[in-house]
Amino acid sequence: MEFGAKPRQVTMAEFNIQSDSVDVTRIMEQIRQRIQEKRGRDYTEQQIRELATVKLERFLDPQQVRSDLVEHYRQLEPPEAVDPEPDRFDFDEHTIYASSRGRMGKLIRLIRKLLNPVLKLFFNPNPVVFALTRQAEINAWTLQLLQQQSKKFAARAEFEALNYEVLNNLVVEMTRLSVDMKNHRSLVESVAGRLDFDERRARALESVVQSRSPQPPDSEDGERASSTGSGRPRRRRRRPRRRPGATATPDSGTNSDTAAAAGTPGETAQPAPDATTRPVDTAAPDTVPRQRQEAASPPAAVVEPSVRPPETTTPSPPAAPSPDREPPTAAVPPVADAAAPDPAPTPPSPGQRGTRAPAPATKTVAPTSPAGNAGTDEQ
Amino acid sequence: MKLAVIVQRYGAELNGGAELHARYVAEHLARHAEVEVLTTCATDYITWRNEFDPGVERVNGVPVRRFPVSRERNAEEFGRRSTQVFEEPHSVAAELAWLRSEGPTSPSLINHLRRQGNAYDYCLFFSYRYYHAYHGIRVAGPRAVLVPTAERDPTLGLRIFGGSFRGVRALMYNSYEERALINAVSNNDAVPSVVVGIGSEVPEHPEPQRFRQATGIEGPVLVYVGRIDENKGCRELFDYFQCYARLSPQLTLVLIGNPVMPIPTHSRIRHLGYVTDEEKFDVMAAADLLVMPSHYESLSMVTLEAWALGRPVLANGRCDVLCGQCIRSNGGLYYESYEEFAETLHAIVSNSTLRNALGMNGRAYFNRHYTWPVIERKYLDMLDRLEHEDAGQVNRPEPLPSWFGRRRRDLPPGRQVVDRLPTGPAAPAGGTQHAGRSASDS
Repeated sequence: MEFGAKPRQVTMAEFNIQSDSVDVTRIMEQIRQRIQEKRGRDYTEQQIRELATVKLERFLDPQQVRSDLVEHYRQLEPPEAVDPEPDRFDFDEHTIYASSRGRMGKLIRLIRKLLNPVLKLFFNPNPVVFALTRQAEINAWTLQLLQQQSKKFAARAEFEALNYEVLNNLVVEMTRLSVDMKNHRSLVESVAGRLDFDERRARALESVVQSRSPQPPDSEDGERASSTGSGRPRRRRRRPRRRPGATATPDSGTNSDTAAAAGTPGETAQPAPDATTRPVDTAAPDTVPRQRQEAASPPAAVVEPSVRPPETTTPSPPAAPSPDREPPTAAVPPVADAAAPDPAPTPPSPGQRGTRAPAPATKTVAPTSPAGNAGTDEQ
Repeated sequence: MKLAVIVQRYGAELNGGAELHARYVAEHLARHAEVEVLTTCATDYITWRNEFDPGVERVNGVPVRRFPVSRERNAEEFGRRSTQVFEEPHSVAAELAWLRSEGPTSPSLINHLRRQGNAYDYCLFFSYRYYHAYHGIRVAGPRAVLVPTAERDPTLGLRIFGGSFRGVRALMYNSYEERALINAVSNNDAVPSVVVGIGSEVPEHPEPQRFRQATGIEGPVLVYVGRIDENKGCRELFDYFQCYARLSPQLTLVLIGNPVMPIPTHSRIRHLGYVTDEEKFDVMAAADLLVMPSHYESLSMVTLEAWALGRPVLANGRCDVLCGQCIRSNGGLYYESYEEFAETLHAIVSNSTLRNALGMNGRAYFNRHYTWPVIERKYLDMLDRLEHEDAGQVNRPEPLPSWFGRRRRDLPPGRQVVDRLPTGPAAPAGGTQHAGRSASDS
């Protein structure tokens, strides 16, 4: 599933099982689909790692972070192993006369030394001995130098491994943070939408209560006069609806009234009680007949999703994590069971409301119910 | 008809999968034919130490002829040779050396087959991977019938066993997935084969209340039956269950079997240890479902027993055989991650309609394929079919390469071969999810 895509609501009605038509493959497909949808809100550790290596550019600004850094480090070849050190050959001025044959060798060495003057008649071995001795010293010094360098290289290799690990962890954490940020953004939007919806629903409920309260036989004008303290008609001021990308306009109240005529629950309701304390706006002469008409008729059945925050953006508690992460919080599917009580381990989250009944795509609110029954489906 | 059942170990008290399988088959075929079991004197599959006396004895009415093992297994040598053939390019000679180090090396058993083999109409070899099966098949020739009991492990990728799969008269598979694996690795589609499995006998009326009263366990029960071993997926099961128990504290995990790993201390995990068959069936009947967390199974008998009792199964989906069984039977769900474990477990536990439907399907599947009359009939039909085949056209064991050919290091590592094999559940016949299937399934 593409990250950020809105998961589709799966209702548990799909799990209503006919005893003679169980299809394990289909059930598993549904279960996996549900898990995929949950993962849209909560990625597993493995997925985060995959995302960090494969889809990094989707979450990070490629101009600021090189998405191939990890791969670059990974491709760094370790230094090739060098051949083992050859055996050292110690050389001094007596080496050319030495022999390895034990006691016999001593005799041989003695003879060679005795014959040395004869040898010098042919050539002088002293420069050869001197050169080889110096070469042995140079070899020892070079070896010492190389050993020091090897230690430095080994330390460097460890340092690079550490660098790689740090970088890898950084990339993974950045990816995780990016995913979390997107999730939180969705959460904030969802909460804002729900808050807006709840406010309007509260006003709708209050208006229903008011419309059901006994009306005095005299005219509504008297009531308005008592509530406002003057005989002037009261105009309801409505809070502009908050919608993503929309701005409040001076004629938002008119829009609300138009929407009320369309039949949304908030708009069909009477003004909220706090509206009575607001200054009366006399600049709306058509308000009185409209309010009178609204008070006389009950709120009509309305289509809920137009004001309801989209369920798909409502984050539920995080899905069950892999065992190497935090303990699960909402991994358990809300499988409906008509025959047995469902010991659902988690309270239904907004995204899991379908556990109680199949959620229709469009839901209607009961028109007029006493004591504010309308909207209980949302509680 | 006289049959020889050749297996690496045999005894009424041995509960290893292939050994138990062989004993059940021998005892049931003994009702229809003259059966003699040829086996070793060993009881321990780690050392192959001779513990029975050589000679003939009767086990549950079936004559058993035991032969001594010439040398015990050297664990160090076996490990070294296993690494060589499983992980590195190697030669046929290295594989043969690995087979000798694995054991149970019993030349006297092979010599008996060589000398007395004509006395048997057919020789049923169990477990392709052991010394007795490889060399016995080469000796028995056209009388050899193999019950491979193969799993997806690197042994299957060794070259020497391809000849065994191609050189027998017939193969009796445990599952469609096993057949798919062996077909893919050895290209032995031409060899007559049938998917048989093994039967099970479950009591007609187990008493779940007896278990509830004895243990005081109430509420839904998830049961695991088998060796409590990390290799059986138990560590993963414990991890998953402990996570799940935080969400659903009513469910109890009941464990039956000998532990070879520590069992976590948890209020909802109850270990009953080794129990009698009667107690085992009581627990299974009381349970809401059985869980099988093993990654590698050639055929899970306890799964079949759960289905026979009408209980659904929650299996590890990474085990092709268990996954395929669940799909074919519609008698269980499977999982490959914790999320799926939690979802499937909750679906079965909380939805009685689903649970009952899965259990009923499982029971019907068991009755259709795994009751003993069905199993016996499949064996007898296959032997009858072989009886009427033209003996001149039967496969002969393939000769080994030359001395130099055996030492040529041109064989890929066994693990690499197995990793290339197709995965996933297999369809029973015809349209398959794997590439290549034998059409000889009855």
